[in-house]
Amino acid sequence: MNSPASVVLSPLPDDAGNAIIYLDYAATTPLDPRVLEAMLPYLQGADDPALRWANPASTHGPGLRAREGVERARAQVAALIGAEPREIIWTSGATESNNLAIKGAIEFNRAPGRPIHIITSRAEHKCVLDSCRYLETQGVAVTYLKPGADGRVMPQQVLDAITPDTALVSLMWVNNEIGAVQAVTELAPRLRERGIQFHVDAVQAAGKLAINLQDTPIDLLSVSAHKLYGPKGVGALFVRRWPRARLAPQMHGGGHEQGMRSGTLATHQIVGMGAAFALAAREWTIEMPRLTALRERLWDRLRGLPEVLRNGPQDPSACAPHILNISFAGVDGESLRAALPSLAVSSGSACSSATAEPSYVLRALGRGDALADASLRFSLGRGSDADTIDCAAGQVVDSVQRLRELSPLWTP
Amino acid sequence: MDAVKALPTNPQNYPAPVWRLFNETPLVGDFPPGVPDVWVAEVRTPAARAVLRLALRCEGSKIADARFRAYGCPVCIAVGAWIAQWSVGRTLSELAALQAVDLQLALEIPEDRIHCALLGEDVLKALLARLKETSRHEHPTH
Amino acid sequence: MAIYFDNNSTTRLDPRVFEAMQPYLQGPYGNPSSLHRYGRAARDAVEAARAQVAVLAGAQAAEVIWTSGGTEADNFAVKGAAASAAKPTRMLYGATEHAAVLESVQSLRGQGWAVDAIVMRQDGLIDAEGFAAQLAQGPLRLVALMRANNETGVIQDLARVADAIHAQDAWLLVDAVQTAGKIPLDFVALNADLLSLSAHKLHGPRGIGALIKRAEVELTPLHHGGGQEQGLRGGTENVAAIVGFGVAAELAVQGRGTRAAQMLTLRRRFEAGLHALSGTRIFAEATPRLPNTVQFALPGYVGEALLMALDLKGIAVSSGSACHSGSGEPSHVLLGMGVARDVAFGAIRVSFSAENTEAEVDRVLAVLTVLHAEAMAV
Repeated sequence: MNSPASVVLSPLPDDAGNAIIYLDYAATTPLDPRVLEAMLPYLQGADDPALRWANPASTHGPGLRAREGVERARAQVAALIGAEPREIIWTSGATESNNLAIKGAIEFNRAPGRPIHIITSRAEHKCVLDSCRYLETQGVAVTYLKPGADGRVMPQQVLDAITPDTALVSLMWVNNEIGAVQAVTELAPRLRERGIQFHVDAVQAAGKLAINLQDTPIDLLSVSAHKLYGPKGVGALFVRRWPRARLAPQMHGGGHEQGMRSGTLATHQIVGMGAAFALAAREWTIEMPRLTALRERLWDRLRGLPEVLRNGPQDPSACAPHILNISFAGVDGESLRAALPSLAVSSGSACSSATAEPSYVLRALGRGDALADASLRFSLGRGSDADTIDCAAGQVVDSVQRLRELSPLWTP
Repeated sequence: MDAVKALPTNPQNYPAPVWRLFNETPLVGDFPPGVPDVWVAEVRTPAARAVLRLALRCEGSKIADARFRAYGCPVCIAVGAWIAQWSVGRTLSELAALQAVDLQLALEIPEDRIHCALLGEDVLKALLARLKETSRHEHPTH
Repeated sequence: MAIYFDNNSTTRLDPRVFEAMQPYLQGPYGNPSSLHRYGRAARDAVEAARAQVAVLAGAQAAEVIWTSGGTEADNFAVKGAAASAAKPTRMLYGATEHAAVLESVQSLRGQGWAVDAIVMRQDGLIDAEGFAAQLAQGPLRLVALMRANNETGVIQDLARVADAIHAQDAWLLVDAVQTAGKIPLDFVALNADLLSLSAHKLHGPRGIGALIKRAEVELTPLHHGGGQEQGLRGGTENVAAIVGFGVAAELAVQGRGTRAAQMLTLRRRFEAGLHALSGTRIFAEATPRLPNTVQFALPGYVGEALLMALDLKGIAVSSGSACHSGSGEPSHVLLGMGVARDVAFGAIRVSFSAENTEAEVDRVLAVLTVLHAEAMAV
């Protein structure tokens, strides 16, 4: 099966003229040309008499036309996740959405002198963890649950951790490192029963799994554009209207977004996010089985190597379609990455690779430091097809074999 | 001058000599059992994140051939390869004189990877110590 | 044919900026945090832009922190300074500051901070004596004063105040969002500790701004997580927008003299035309103002109505700041200058870019003349 012809990727060649194979879609995705086309009139108005690049808060004609673009995009984002347009708040990205959800919910619900408690997991993205750690310095109690051997936090763990002071639970829907799908739909009604706000980071889930917020009683949900072939610099936070999820705004100045997030809206970015989400809504039912099949093809090619471990739930259907995380025994992680200069993949979450910390999730799975370091996260996307998968697999197999033969520790 | 074969792109910016040896690695392996006058030593860093094994075949007071194996980062692998390659044709006293700083210079090793150069120095020391020991006992063991 | 006289609200993207952004919109799409080759290309572009914006601000590259815009930069400065303080003390802010500063500062009241407005004179400048007294009233953390006002265009005289603020062991935040690209900007000469910028006010893209911060200033991050911007502002970098900001900054620096002269020519022509309309008032007319801004009131008109009448003719202007449009309140800037409420309701703002023309000015004056006559005839 071929990748959607509409997405033309121009792979950068390396110095030897070989195309770089991109398998890092979970870190970021290229802007879909169809999305860029939708954005252009709102970005650069060279010959646009409608001046749609105007400030959407302005009440003159150009401003109103810009506003139309914003509101259309709002409906497009809402549609992908089963929300109402008024429940979508624009932010500058998933990091801000997560910060706003957690800090905003806690600040709104806090009363002086009364303790307050958050439940989250150790496997969350850094922006969730750091927001929680910051709130701890402000006297908020936080429980960091440990994922189980399949990398998931089970609903019962969350329920067992609830105290009378628990105000918020924050969990990611899909773990970005290993692709494990958390039992969010199972947990949501049980938190709703107990009157506890539920925030879900759905950055890796949107457009990959079915999300219907009409059926699933989640209160706050973060999404990002640049993980779905949309532009960088824009994201959204779903804030439920009934029952109303309340937040103290974190960004002040003008009362935009129903007072929840002030600041001039970057129309072109928002329009781009809407277009990207609309495309995902149209294509995901075909794209997801395609990616799942390619992911399993990649695993099949790699499992021929001795001592490779698949990190994630045993059941591939409990895994997001596009992510495959493998540990390779007997090779040094840095050398493995260096031996694959034409392959763009991640080890650990892209956002924490600057600190070179070993992945928490992999350690939770029982991988020692060396093995965790010798892990690669492959994440597939629109530009992936059988050829790119086979080529990537070939490069990985060759490099692993070469490094193992080099090693004094490896016994075949 | 030999034509230079293009190396793959170097996105992590390893020093050129390291990158070359990492990609075109000479003298990998071991000597088959039964080959005479071969001495082997293996050293590792405390957490065993880097392991270097060096095997040298002597003829008289000179090194006739060398092999190495390495586990660790590209700099460690390059150190192993460099030592193996350099040792061939050298005398034992030249080997004894080689220090980490020489490795650092030859391979342009940055400060934060100095432990790789030290590992290289250690494997040579270990190997020479073994040589001395066995010549005292007059029975080479390996 | 549309005439766009609302450049303080946002500006048209310069085609050269767009051209510079394109490869990063469509091409190397790496996350700059990723270690592979794509990531490195993105990171290099981000650092080059940082240097360009530093030049615009008269600052060091290491002092530039990317934000999603001017509002975030102001929020970060104010709230970051509050959160990093050992205990809540006091902040002062100009009565004519932008909502992003005003509301951020006022939001701190609930956390035990004393926040007071600095009294402005009728000409829009700080009342120096009153300010000196306010400074001495107790421990102080931060003073926020904009370099140039987005509504009236008044350029604040900050030369003398910075020293007095520092003598109180407090920091000075200068909101320079409207300044950059219109008048010279020098972070060092201003003696400021924090400075906010926004790209889309100088023909750069929307969605990107910067906070200039001296190394010694300690701010608690607004956006935690991810480690970007030396741990101060988490979030995947918006590479294309950053590159656009860099180029816009460079163009602004290169063109500053000519742009400002062009804007001033247009402004003077426009004001001369307004003088011919009896009863028209130009706010802060005699005060040093940005070369491109005229806030005025035509007798007999509510600002919103005038705005709509002009809009019908294809002319885009603003009544008060875009951030407050449609809120039903008169401009707090004018009220802060002691302008009567009913007069403030009548205010509209015209703000030029160097791309506007004298022909456009004449056309708008012609329309205003007709509207003025209609009101006078009633």
